[in-house]
Amino acid sequence: MKGKKKNLYYWAFIIPSLLAIFFVIVLPLILGIGTSLTNSDGYNAVFVGLSNYKNLLSDKQFLYSLRFTILFAVVAVVLINVIGLGLALLVTQKMGKVSVFFRTIFFMPNLIGGIILGFIWQFIFVRAFAGIANATGLSFFNAWLADTTTGFWGLVIVFLWQMSGYIMIIYISFLANIPSELIEAGQIDGANKWQAFWKIKFSMLAPAFTVSLFLTLANAFKIYDMNLALTNGAPYGSTEMIAMNIYNTAFFQYRQGYAQSKAIVFFLIVAVISLTQVFLTRRKEVDL
Amino acid sequence: MKKSLLFSLLTVPVILTACGTGGNEGGSSTTDSDQNEGSSGEAVTVDFFNQKPEITAQLEELAEMYSAQSDNNAEITITTIGSGEGSAGLQARFSSGDEPALMMLNGLPEIERYSDALIDVSEMDVADTVIDGLLEGGTIDGTQLGIPLNIEGFGWMYNKDIFEQAGIDPDSIESYDDFVSAVETLDSQKDKLGIEQVFGFSGGENYIANQFSANFTSPEFNHSILDAYNAEELTWEYGDQMKKYTDLINEYNVQPILTVDYSRSVEELFVNDQVAMVHQGVWIVPTLNEIDPDFAQEKLGILPVYGESDTEGRIPAGSPWYIGINGNHDDAVVEEAKSFIDWMYLSDEGQEMILGDLAFIPAQEGYDPADISDPVSRQLYEALLAGETAAMVHNQYPSGWFQQVLYPEFQSYLDGEQSWEAFEENTSQAFSEMR
Repeated sequence: MKGKKKNLYYWAFIIPSLLAIFFVIVLPLILGIGTSLTNSDGYNAVFVGLSNYKNLLSDKQFLYSLRFTILFAVVAVVLINVIGLGLALLVTQKMGKVSVFFRTIFFMPNLIGGIILGFIWQFIFVRAFAGIANATGLSFFNAWLADTTTGFWGLVIVFLWQMSGYIMIIYISFLANIPSELIEAGQIDGANKWQAFWKIKFSMLAPAFTVSLFLTLANAFKIYDMNLALTNGAPYGSTEMIAMNIYNTAFFQYRQGYAQSKAIVFFLIVAVISLTQVFLTRRKEVDL
Repeated sequence: MKKSLLFSLLTVPVILTACGTGGNEGGSSTTDSDQNEGSSGEAVTVDFFNQKPEITAQLEELAEMYSAQSDNNAEITITTIGSGEGSAGLQARFSSGDEPALMMLNGLPEIERYSDALIDVSEMDVADTVIDGLLEGGTIDGTQLGIPLNIEGFGWMYNKDIFEQAGIDPDSIESYDDFVSAVETLDSQKDKLGIEQVFGFSGGENYIANQFSANFTSPEFNHSILDAYNAEELTWEYGDQMKKYTDLINEYNVQPILTVDYSRSVEELFVNDQVAMVHQGVWIVPTLNEIDPDFAQEKLGILPVYGESDTEGRIPAGSPWYIGINGNHDDAVVEEAKSFIDWMYLSDEGQEMILGDLAFIPAQEGYDPADISDPVSRQLYEALLAGETAAMVHNQYPSGWFQQVLYPEFQSYLDGEQSWEAFEENTSQAFSEMR
């Protein structure tokens, strides 16, 4: 009797979220799969079977965007986690108020929306960098965002700027949870700082890696706002990431069915990569 | 007690679900609520979907003036989404069922998309006054669905002061060769003139590439909007002219050309006498007036592009925007929408606003060219009445073609990534595919 009641409460609490998820995520996904099998332009749709998916394979820009996004994600995920962990280690040193101040500073870019960040950095790359180039004669600062390489690194830098502080917070919370006895025990056994970090802290951080890698990976794939504000795909569509490619297909070419098929493929790719990553990093986690 | 708690918890999702389904029927529910408003004699609200952010303030003022003089307690609200996102925004409004009553539409492809919703406007008073030939740009299958908003034109906007200081008489430029020698003269005196470069072409704006292309595609389509709209292919018959111009610009432009955006090109370089020429249109006049009230009056001139041949230069002009009226709304709303448009173009206050704060070149006959305040607009109005302009064929390209194909391919050529032949081939192939 009691168990039944408990069960009821359980469902009473979970149903609102389930319904929200169903209407906001699951239902659109199912409808989306339907749309991806049509040639919908937003109003009229005729069933065309799998031809959208077939066309995808020969869509040069789509494949390019996919490659570009994957490359971006790999570089960004590695750098963000390295920088985020580095910052976390720095601000968890015993420095009193100063470390709180730095935590705030490093976290702040995350409070600014991607569009604004994109425009701020566009100004920095195009105008401020050009100014530096004029003043110093260093050609390194010339013509940023005007070619694919600087466009790519521009995107990476802004994304790092935005996400590192956030990831830092996650690492800080996990670092703070590492019992000091473990480290002290290690020191008594003769471990130096370096060994203490790699052998104790690093392994204890495994759950943090699971979370951080998942967040950065998923976010890196889904970027749109920053891409729009910073480069908008320029020059010549060479910095058009996958989300932007899908949006442009849907809203500039009005090929919503085709765009939807891209989105489904994109969804599968992100899901497979993210789940594989979670599965792999989970195995490394240790329970205390 | 416990039961009621449980009950309340369960009702929340039910209410949420109810809201959800309500939203799904958005289209019909909007109309319902409009009907209720109309029949109960309360304020009729007409939403105007504006795609030109630069005239939002003036439109809002017009809307207020209209409400003030109307006895129907009508209210016009202005929604603005622009800068290339307008058509996506409009599409979203229609998909979600929250359809605007009045909308600004960009060319025949967009008018056709919404042709089921749009009403025939040929019976409206304002339709009789429109300049000959402009109506065809708003006509689908013989039914006139759009009222031309205004006339715009573009070409080389140049700074008369700089030309004068360099000793160039703009009136003597009568061919492509004259134009090139003017550019070379300007370039040789850059330091004396205090200019950074001759051109401030925005290689970082997709619509500039689009407009620029119209100089060279208009002759291929016989300077006809309808021909362009019906064209199945683009052969770049006048592509060689475009290549010549593109190379010339690239050589004498502020670099890196691909990062020069609108605001840098116009609001910074051009208005501050840093460049002599930009490829722009009359819509920059209000912006120029804001920054330097005398600029448009005293310094601004326009030169044609020799797109057809080295000696035949035309300025593309026409109405890029058409106002469509949505017939899916209740009659009261549709009537109010019509009456607003008639009032805007035919009443004295409206006309004053059109020539004054809006600084439109009117799409109606019967204005005295002398009343048009800035010289470039006056020149365009006269040229259009005389039929000496090229057509705005760039608004008739297949949807998405200029953003997704023309612009990136053009940038790629500017950056030396591909040959002109490849540019022509890629763009032409995609044109046929997307048509």
